[in-house]
Amino acid sequence: MNFNFLSPLYLIGALGIAAPVLIHLMTRRKKKHQRFSAIYLLLQSKNRSIKQSKPNKKFLLFIRCLAIIFLSLAMANPIFSISDSVNLGTKGPIAIVFILDDSYSMATQINQKSYYTRAVKALLDTNKSLPAKSTYSIVLASSPSRVLQQWTTVPEKAKNLLKSSQPSSRTTDIGAAIKKSLLLLDEIPQKNKLIYILTDRDKNGWDKKEFPPIKETTPHTFNIVDFSKMQRGINKAAVERTEVQQEFLSSSPVIKVKVKTINLSQSKPIRKLKVSLWINGKKQTEDNLDIPINSSTSTEFSFPLQGNNSISGEIRIEDDSLLKDNLRFFSYQPDRTIKTLVVDGDPNTVEHQSETFYLERALNPFTSSLSNIEPTLSTLAEFPKHNLFDYSVIILCNANKLPLGYEQELEKFVLRGGALFITLGNQVDAKFYNEKLGNILPVLLKSVHQVAMNDEPLQLLIKPSKHPVLNIFEEQTLEEMKSIEFYSIYSVVDREDSKFTTPIVFSNGLPALIESTSGKGKVILFVSTIDRDWNNFPIQPTFLPWIQRWIKYSARGLDSLIQKELLVGESFNWRFSPENNKAFIVTPGGKIIAPPSVDRNIIFKDTYMPGIYQLYQNARTSNSKSETSLPTSLPHGVEPAGSFTVNIDPKESISIKISDEEINNLLPKENVILSSGYQKAIPNKTNKDFPLFTYFMVLVVVMLLFEGWLVRKE
Amino acid sequence: MNKNKAIESDPEVLSRIASLNIVATKLVEGLLSGHHRSRHTGSSVEFADYKNYTPGDETKHIDWKVAAKTNKLQIKQFEQSTNLKATILLDASGSMGYESSNPKTMSKMDYARTLVASLSYLFLKQFDAVGLSLFNESLISHVPPRSKPTHFKHILHELAVLSPNGVTKLENVIESMVERLPGRGMLILVSDFLTKETGVEKKLKLLVSRGLEVILFHILDSDEVSLPFNGDVVFESLEDDSSIELDPANIREAYQRSIQEQIKYYRSHCSKLGIDYIFLDTSTPLEQGLTYFLLQRKNLGKH
Repeated sequence: MNFNFLSPLYLIGALGIAAPVLIHLMTRRKKKHQRFSAIYLLLQSKNRSIKQSKPNKKFLLFIRCLAIIFLSLAMANPIFSISDSVNLGTKGPIAIVFILDDSYSMATQINQKSYYTRAVKALLDTNKSLPAKSTYSIVLASSPSRVLQQWTTVPEKAKNLLKSSQPSSRTTDIGAAIKKSLLLLDEIPQKNKLIYILTDRDKNGWDKKEFPPIKETTPHTFNIVDFSKMQRGINKAAVERTEVQQEFLSSSPVIKVKVKTINLSQSKPIRKLKVSLWINGKKQTEDNLDIPINSSTSTEFSFPLQGNNSISGEIRIEDDSLLKDNLRFFSYQPDRTIKTLVVDGDPNTVEHQSETFYLERALNPFTSSLSNIEPTLSTLAEFPKHNLFDYSVIILCNANKLPLGYEQELEKFVLRGGALFITLGNQVDAKFYNEKLGNILPVLLKSVHQVAMNDEPLQLLIKPSKHPVLNIFEEQTLEEMKSIEFYSIYSVVDREDSKFTTPIVFSNGLPALIESTSGKGKVILFVSTIDRDWNNFPIQPTFLPWIQRWIKYSARGLDSLIQKELLVGESFNWRFSPENNKAFIVTPGGKIIAPPSVDRNIIFKDTYMPGIYQLYQNARTSNSKSETSLPTSLPHGVEPAGSFTVNIDPKESISIKISDEEINNLLPKENVILSSGYQKAIPNKTNKDFPLFTYFMVLVVVMLLFEGWLVRKE
Repeated sequence: MNKNKAIESDPEVLSRIASLNIVATKLVEGLLSGHHRSRHTGSSVEFADYKNYTPGDETKHIDWKVAAKTNKLQIKQFEQSTNLKATILLDASGSMGYESSNPKTMSKMDYARTLVASLSYLFLKQFDAVGLSLFNESLISHVPPRSKPTHFKHILHELAVLSPNGVTKLENVIESMVERLPGRGMLILVSDFLTKETGVEKKLKLLVSRGLEVILFHILDSDEVSLPFNGDVVFESLEDDSSIELDPANIREAYQRSIQEQIKYYRSHCSKLGIDYIFLDTSTPLEQGLTYFLLQRKNLGKH
């Protein structure tokens, strides 16, 4: 038999009996002494009187104290369990594998104690009461499952291991843990073998695919102890997803964070759930959300971007019994300034007649500080003066041909990751393009296709696209794009073995824009002019976002930092620039890791802690390529290379429990023993713990009624 | 002689005697009118009744005139004009020493003393013999019945020196008294009857069966009837009971019921046994008690 309290703190309330005692002492009457003749009659009357049950003050005090004690006992949520010893079905030595669910849902707290803490206590208690010469091992059930303790007969080993342990941020995988346990059990010759699972029975952790085939005749017994049965408060809500975007083309840069929050309750809608946005440790803004039963609600936070520094933030919702899923990290690296070299192949002294007049204004419509694109205008004659590698994007606008030898420079630039954007026109020397830029240009320029005077001008084939550049153009903007008229275009033919895509085509099927990849760079060919000579596109409202997005997109291969969102346990793959062969990862805990790289590829697997992982790279060459070290500080000269966020998998938050029937479908029914966290193991599969809250409350009511009756009688 | 010495030497006793004397005399003189008579028949001058002659009867009492007329022997019976021997049995146990919470009322013992003194004076004034016995668990003292007027002084002295203590054991006392009491006398029992004994009525019956005329004065203080105390009280016994702590308010009703039951018990048993029962609460003026006693006896034709 076992007597436990779920909220032992309330027992302090029993001290409340001091109040009636004090009142009693303060109001106590002084006793008078009276000599009297008929004492025997007094005694007789006392025994006979109906009011003999009428209490004296001390009895009333006793009743009141009892009421307070019962109330504090009731509030402490006492649980009475019939079985206090571990019933393992045998008195002889056994081999027992404890599967300890250390997934983050086990961090659910009830009365300042998590399921995990209770499970660890239950494990240690069970371990202590094992028959002599028993042996045990411990397997952790969070994904991926792992052996925490190999076979041992020393109970203290588990105690030392588990004393300071915490639930992880991972999801549950009971199947894999059972698989590991069975392998462990195969290793030893003991006859009595038991798998003892301490879990909250979250359904997501019982994936049938992960379960090993277990025969009905298996001699192993499975004791499954459910700690979620103690749950009174619930895990109300979780942040399911965050999505960060920089608002495109606003006069001031604005970051938008879209938050999706899920109501985990099956029965109660959530009213006014506080959701707040924190940036670099400071609360920025807050919102109240109403979330219907078992569904999600999204909200969006906006805040101005100051500077171009990376942003580390988190979304928090108000506390419930599981804190871990009330937090979701995000990071964002604002666009870096894209240095762009705009080569004007048809400059003009009349400014607006220059080939690049519209392009230049589209690339940087406001001031230089607000635009992420920094265009540098150049003529073909000035082209050799520029170091191409200072730029991320080079735009050749209606360029006749490059100065001698610069076609090779340009090729190198592209292969190393530069972006080349080519627009055509009447100045273009097709022969030069076809011959000299053959390695990077996937098509041959054939001829100028001019629309006859009486014919309808060419139009773009407008349809919604999933292309990263074009996916923002929807409905109205697409309609607007229909009005773009093309009078002349270059017709192109494929080169042999060339790979390219045509994200935009004309309504007659001819390609309008060709995108290809060369080495690490991108080449984009627009078959018409970028000024109004061959079309009216530059004066269309969609021109500006269209060209900006293409430039940013093409430059991304070179300039954008790594930004990834991972779930706990997912590995991070990083292929970094050739000249840098040393990378560093700073974990959310502040630990600096220099992960080993193989062929400039890093696979970082230790993503078990949720948070933001900062990436750094070093330009210096190092010989110790496969070295795994833990430097205490970042070496001099390292540069930020981005970041990635690791968040918990929200599926673990969903508190749907696996039913007894479902467990019996996964494991042989006859060998399964189910019990709750307050029973250690009861073979008859019945729940034998009795919550005494109601009984004590009834006692309180009875005491109060009795007291009231007594006072009234008096 | 010793008694006389004591009477003369103790001023407190003397003043008490004087006071008792005055009070009793005044009381009786004020109330009394007429003769006090015995209900026993005797050889006096006043004819009472005839009865058939049976062998053994004195022949001098045969009414020959009647015999001549009726040819039947009839014996004349006369009412005896008394020389009544009355014994007052006064309870001197601890419980009689109860001092009332009301300072205006007389204490139970003083009330009893005055009553006994008055009765004694009354008897002596009628030339009847009166004696006084004091008792608690046994007889403490006994003044045999005398009819001399000076005898009153002895009785007063006994009353004056009386100090209540000990436990009431009525049954024992009556049993031991029965033999001593003169036949066909009168016994006046003055007590609070606060005793745990249950067989008192049997002993009373015994007295009655001995031909004694028994009169019971049941004296209680008004506190003992109403239990007027409040608050937490530790009641300490005047006899041998252990102390008891309680709030009298809690048991007042039950106590009052008990005491009334006790009064009822004595009243009904006395009625059955032909005993005069007079209940006196110390708040009742003593004159009223005595008047009631005299009236009651007169109504019954006992004078």
